[in-house]
Amino acid sequence: MRIWTFLVIIIWMFTAAESVKGEEKGKMNQGVSLPSEAGGWKWDGKEMEYDSRTLFKYMDGAAELYLAYGFQNVTVRRFEKSSQPPLIVELYEMASSEDAYGVFSFEHQDEAVGIGQGSEFGGGLLRFWKGRYFVSIYAEGEGAEVEPGILTMGRGVANSIPGTGPEPKLIGVIPGKDFGLVAKSVRYLKNHVLLNQRFFIAHQNILNLNRKTEAVLAQYLQDKQKTQLLLIRYANLKEAGDAYQNFMKAYLPEAGGKDRLRTEDRKWTFARQRGEFVVIVFGAPTESDAEALLKATEEKMFGGR
Amino acid sequence: MERSWRGMKDKIITRRDFLRVTAGAAMAATVESGILGEVRAEPTAKVVLIRHAEVLGRQDKVRGEILQSMLDEAVKNLLETNEPMGGWKRLFKSSDVVGVKSNEWNRLPTPKELEAAIKRRLLDVGVAEKNISVADRGVLNDPVFLNASALVNVRPLRTHHWSGVGTCLKNYIQFVPDPWSYHDEGCSPLGKIWNYPIVKGKTRLNILSCLTPQFYGRGAHFFDRRYVWPYKGLIVGTDPVAVDAVGAHLLQTKRIGFFGEDRALDVPPVHIMAADKKYHLGVSDLRRIQLIKLGWMEEVLI
Repeated sequence: MRIWTFLVIIIWMFTAAESVKGEEKGKMNQGVSLPSEAGGWKWDGKEMEYDSRTLFKYMDGAAELYLAYGFQNVTVRRFEKSSQPPLIVELYEMASSEDAYGVFSFEHQDEAVGIGQGSEFGGGLLRFWKGRYFVSIYAEGEGAEVEPGILTMGRGVANSIPGTGPEPKLIGVIPGKDFGLVAKSVRYLKNHVLLNQRFFIAHQNILNLNRKTEAVLAQYLQDKQKTQLLLIRYANLKEAGDAYQNFMKAYLPEAGGKDRLRTEDRKWTFARQRGEFVVIVFGAPTESDAEALLKATEEKMFGGR
Repeated sequence: MERSWRGMKDKIITRRDFLRVTAGAAMAATVESGILGEVRAEPTAKVVLIRHAEVLGRQDKVRGEILQSMLDEAVKNLLETNEPMGGWKRLFKSSDVVGVKSNEWNRLPTPKELEAAIKRRLLDVGVAEKNISVADRGVLNDPVFLNASALVNVRPLRTHHWSGVGTCLKNYIQFVPDPWSYHDEGCSPLGKIWNYPIVKGKTRLNILSCLTPQFYGRGAHFFDRRYVWPYKGLIVGTDPVAVDAVGAHLLQTKRIGFFGEDRALDVPPVHIMAADKKYHLGVSDLRRIQLIKLGWMEEVLI
């Protein structure tokens, strides 16, 4: 009898460890019912919530990143398990799914784990996005069960987020792996400070990025040569034209009316305006490489027209 | 932009400035010409790096007595005294009101053992316990900090999302009510804080805890164990810019060793150079910093 009771308890423990229970709605994220338990970690019952005015109290300097992507609020829950470090779940509600994608893309560097619409897991940190939500889950220490626990928690949180949302359309315009696209390098950017953090161009905002512009930065790798592609969409033709002229004057003043220059690193920088778009290739090893990448981008932008 | 780079408004620094010569030299030359535009006498600074192989125990638990001896030895060598207390007494008077500006970022806080070691020596100097406060985010509401005659600046060495590196200069951002206003241009305006009355001229000692520094990372809110290593050291000096320059150099050297290249930080730590060239808070040029290395030398890197 004791053996049967023991077995029942063991089976219950294993099934409970994989199950994810619902919990009452948070005050801010009305659309999401975060789990109260996952992988054996139980919610401690407290919930911290921050909006755009109070986010700075939670972040040590990183709040601007989230604010740049239409941050609405963040809900933070702590989960505990005996003999294991606590897990922290941060659920960020952004203005749109494009913004959630943007936050995710900005720091993307690890391998995907198939959670949400895009995910990565490395160094004990799980990051993913789904719909207009960006989620970060990590442990406050190390432990044998931590990594599977974080992933189980991540799946539970992802399941609690209803629906999905589109990626930024601009992402679909850049050439793909046939040109050597490094998938983890694709960044969806909203301002020049963020652009400079990923690829420094100039201290001043020489590309006139503003609240109405959107940009994609991506790295291409061919024969160990790194090339950067920057694609920017402006609100209208005039803004794109002004930005293009400003860039050429500040960055390629010796180009002499051409759209290209071999810079000091003996690599090629190309820049073109096409309608409300500005496309720039940095660091192409040869002129023809840069031309090919630009042409492929233009074809995807206008469908070969 | 205008606020932090007033003297440079006619010069746009672009990526090509980095490409023209080696990255560091290019940046230094460009920024220096923009900010200073003049030649002046070159001051120097002294910084102590001290390490001990046994300062961390199991699970990186700090051995307080070893850490205390490291700190004492650093102060003794920095102040060139025969005994550690002689150094401490040159830095502080018994009548001082001392704020120990720490850092409580929960992923990598200033070790409590280090805070305790500093406080112990302040008490040994004769500073009244009621006149000592150790704090981070509460400094603007802390009567000791508000009335401080002296400050100790102590924090862990790590990378930082907006300033490139989180070092001593960055640690004073809690002395202003609007920290986010100082994040422009790689936190270059940080140096301005050091000239505010609550801080100006009060910092007697700057300490970077390098017991387990973080040499790479993504986002200030992010901690990644892959990029933290047991360096088991302290960087100590009276010049915050020099201490930070040495700290930034250590992290850069570690990145090169780890990645095989100097993988770019979120932003280059230009605020250190700005603190030197624009705010005149100390020496950022490594060639003008006398680095005294003490203790354990295995994989010292710098």
